[in-house]
Amino acid sequence: MSTVDVKRRVLPRWSPKLAIGLGLIGVVVVFGLVGPLVVGDPNTVRDIGLTPPGGSFWLGTTQTGQDVVAQIAYATRGSLQIGLVVGVLATVLSAVFGIVGSYAGGIVDEAFSLFSNVMLVIPGLPLVIVIAGFVPAAQRGSWTIAIVLAITGWAASARVLRAQTLSLRNRDYVAAARVAGERTWRVITVEILPNLLPVLASQFVFAVVLAILSEAGLSFLGLGASNSSTLGTMLYYAQNGFALQREAWWWFVPPGLVIALFGCGLSLVNFSIDEIINPRLRDVPRKPGKVAATVEVVPATRGSDDAVLTVSGLSVVYQGEKPVHAVRDVSLTLRRGEILGLAGESGCGKTTLAYAVNRLHKPPAEVTAGAVTFHDRDGTDVDVLGLGVEELRVFRWSKLSMVFQGAMNALSPVTSVAAQLDDVLVTHRPEMSREERRKRCVEVFTLVGVPPERLGAYPHELSGGMRQRVMIAMALLLDPQVMIMDEPTTALDVVVQRGILLEILKFRDSLGFAVVFITHDLPLLLEVADRIAVMRDGEVVELGSAEELNVDPQHPYTRELLESFPSLTGERGGFVRGTPALDGGVR
Amino acid sequence: MSALEARDLVKEFGVRDGVRRSVLRAVDRVSFTLSAGRTVALVGESGSGKSTIARMIARLEKPTSGEIVLGGEALEGEALGGKVLGGKALGGKALSDREYRHRVQMVFQDPFASLNPFHTVEHHLARPLKLHGRVKGGAESSKMVRELLERVTLPAEFASRRPHELSGGQRQRVAIARALAPGAGIVVADEPVSMLDVSIRLGILKLLARLQREENLAVLYITHDLATARHFSDEILVLYRGRVVERGPADQVILEPRHPYTKLLAAASPDPSARGREFSVGREVVEAAGSAAAYDHFAGTWAAV
Repeated sequence: MSTVDVKRRVLPRWSPKLAIGLGLIGVVVVFGLVGPLVVGDPNTVRDIGLTPPGGSFWLGTTQTGQDVVAQIAYATRGSLQIGLVVGVLATVLSAVFGIVGSYAGGIVDEAFSLFSNVMLVIPGLPLVIVIAGFVPAAQRGSWTIAIVLAITGWAASARVLRAQTLSLRNRDYVAAARVAGERTWRVITVEILPNLLPVLASQFVFAVVLAILSEAGLSFLGLGASNSSTLGTMLYYAQNGFALQREAWWWFVPPGLVIALFGCGLSLVNFSIDEIINPRLRDVPRKPGKVAATVEVVPATRGSDDAVLTVSGLSVVYQGEKPVHAVRDVSLTLRRGEILGLAGESGCGKTTLAYAVNRLHKPPAEVTAGAVTFHDRDGTDVDVLGLGVEELRVFRWSKLSMVFQGAMNALSPVTSVAAQLDDVLVTHRPEMSREERRKRCVEVFTLVGVPPERLGAYPHELSGGMRQRVMIAMALLLDPQVMIMDEPTTALDVVVQRGILLEILKFRDSLGFAVVFITHDLPLLLEVADRIAVMRDGEVVELGSAEELNVDPQHPYTRELLESFPSLTGERGGFVRGTPALDGGVR
Repeated sequence: MSALEARDLVKEFGVRDGVRRSVLRAVDRVSFTLSAGRTVALVGESGSGKSTIARMIARLEKPTSGEIVLGGEALEGEALGGKVLGGKALGGKALSDREYRHRVQMVFQDPFASLNPFHTVEHHLARPLKLHGRVKGGAESSKMVRELLERVTLPAEFASRRPHELSGGQRQRVAIARALAPGAGIVVADEPVSMLDVSIRLGILKLLARLQREENLAVLYITHDLATARHFSDEILVLYRGRVVERGPADQVILEPRHPYTKLLAAASPDPSARGREFSVGREVVEAAGSAAAYDHFAGTWAAV
C-alpha cells in the first residue's frame, strides 16, 4: 500500500500528454543509445558528393558523401550527453543556492538570493557566447561547454526552489522535526527535500531542454565543443555546406526535427509534473449548460405566508470518478426575519448547501435534484436555479447576499474600502447619485459599528474584526432580504465574534432580513439562532427551535454534538480530568 | 519540585513600517512554573502572545530576555549573556538543544501541517525514539512505535500509513505520540484541538489528560477556549497584550474573574441558557483597565505588572 502512495505523491498521473511526451523522449533516447551501434562510421568520406535519400543511404549523404543517418545517430547521442550533464549540474547548483540559502535565512539567504538574481538578469546566450569565445577552440571540449551552460542556466530554478523552500521551512512539520531534535542537514534532506522532488524534477527537465537548445545555438554559431558531434554541429556543417541554397533538405531537416521532437517530449512531461505541484491544473473544465437539464423542478410553492426562501429536495453531487453526494434531499424553509442556524462538522455539506442556494457552486459540483425558490417582498416567486446569467447577477447580492468564510481576506488590498462599497452600488444601483451612494455607505458602516471615518481606509489598515464588519456592511449595502453567513466569525477571536453577532441580532430586528448562519459552534447557535438544522453527511438529521434542541435533542448525533462542548460554568463532574477509559476510539 | 520555571520572559519583534523601525513587545515579563502532574493553561485572544510563549518554551524562538530554568538549571541565562534580567540563577548550566528537547516536547496546533506528508507514521515516531537514544536497532524501534500507537489508542497497523490516510483526530494522536516518544517530562500543547472537528475534541483532551496522569507530565496548555481551560487545567493564566493580567486556580479565575478582560472573555463564551444577553463588560472598560495590574488569586491581591 505504501509504495503505491509514494508513487501517487511523486509520479505524475497517467494522461495522454504524459504518454506522448514519454513516447517521444523514449524514441529519441533509444535512437541516441542504440543508433551509433548499428550505423556505420559517420566520418567516412565517400566520393559521391551530395546525394538525395535513396538506396543504401536512407537520408542521403552530405557534401563530402558522409551518411546522414550515421551522423544523426552520433549527433543525437552527443546532444543527449550535453543535456544530461547540464541538467544535473544546473539542478545541483540551483538546489544549493535555492534550498540551502533560503533554509539558512538571514545574511546567507540575502547573499545567495542576490547572487542568483544577478545571474538571472545577465542575458544567458550572449554570456555563453562571450565565455565560449574566450576559451580557445582547441580547449573547448564538451565539458567546458556543459559547465558554461550550467553556470548560465541555474539561476531561474534557484529562485523557484527558494520560494518553495521559504514556504516549506515555515511548515509546522519542519518545526516539529526541530523540536524532535533533528539536525539541520537532516531537516533539509529528509523533511524538506522530498517535498521538493516534483519541483526539482520539473526544473531538471527544463534545464535539459534549455541545454540542448543552447548547445545547438552555440554550435550553429561555431562556438561549440571542438571535437564533439552534436545536432548543433551538424546544423553548423550543413550551413557551411550551403545545404539550404542547394535544397539539400535531408541534411538540415532531420537534426532540426530531432531537437524539436525531443524538446516537445520533455515539455509534455514537464506539464505532467507541474500537475503534481499544482493539482488544480488537472481539473478539466466541464461543459456548462447540463445543470439545468438535470434539475427536476419542483413547483415553487409558498409554504407559509412569511417564508422568504424555500429549499425543497435539494441534492448536490460532486461528479468525479466516484460521485460524492454532498447534499442529499434537503428541504428547508427560511422565514422572514429569522436566524436559521446550520450546524455540522467539516464535510457535512453545509457550505455546499449554502453555495448551491446562491448558485455559487462550481463544477464538479452539480445540483442533481430539487428547487430553490425565493419569495420576494412584492409577492413574486423567483426560481433561483432557473435564472439566466444576467438575472442571476441582478438577483445575487441585491436579494440574497453572502458573507464568506475567511471573508476578511476577500477585500481587494489595492483600493480603499469606500471604493469597493461604491463599486457594488454603481453596479447594482446605477440610478443613485454619487452623494446618495456616499450616504448609503456611511449608513451601513454605522450599522455594523465601524466609524464612518474609516471609509477611506485600505484593508491592511483595518484589524481582522473591522474587515469582517466591512464585509458584513457590504452584504447589507443593497438591503437584501436574505443573508447567508458561512462561518463568518470562526477566524476571529471570541470577543470580536460576539460583538459582531450582537450587532447582527440588533439590526436583524430593525431591518427585518433573514439570516442563514453556518457554523460548527452549536452552543453559539443555541444562544443566537431561532431555529437550528443539524447536518451530517449531507442530510439534515434534526431541525427544531433552538430551545427544543437544547432541552430535548432527538437525534443521537445532535446529542453527541451537544456533549462535545463542556459548559463554562457548569459542574466539573462530567469532565473531571482522569475519568478513565473515556478518551474514545480511533476517530 | 518545579519541572520548569519561566522567569520574566520577554519577546520583542522588530516591526518595519515604511522606513521607520519600531519594536513590538509580544510577550512582556511573563513568569510561571510548571510542575509534574499539573496543567497550567495560558488563555487569551490571538495576538495576546500565547503562541510566542509556547514557541519560546519549545526553543523555536529565543527570548529577548528572561530565563527558562529546568529542574533548577538556568538554561537561557548563559546563552543570552548580558541581556538577562535579574542575573543568573542556580549555578546555571546551559543545555544543548538536544538535551533540552529530551525534556521538553510540544504538540502543535494543526495536525494537517505538523506531519510531513511524505513520511509514514512509523518515521514520525521512530526518529525521536532514535534521536533520544530510547531504542537500539530496528526491531526494538518497531516494537516501541507500536507501543506508542497503542498508548494513543491507534491500531498498530497505522505505523505504515501516511498522514493523508488519517483523519484529523488520528493525526493529532500521532502528533501526541511523537511528543511522548523522547520521554520528556514537560509537554507544551499549543491549541491542540482548535483545528479538529468539535465532536472529537474532548476525546483528544481526555487522551492528553490520561497520558499526563500515567506519566506524571507537566503540561502547558495554550488555548483561547475558556471552558476547556477550566475543565482540563489546574491553574489558569490570562494573557492580555503580552502580559499576564490574572492568574489563579482554574475554577476561581473562570467563576470569579476579577480583571475586566477575563470578565469580557467569559461573557463572550456562548451560553445557551442565557439567550438575548448583552456584554456585561464593554471593550472600553478593558481598555481603561489595561494591563498595568494583575490579579493573583493565590495571593488574593492586585499587583502592578
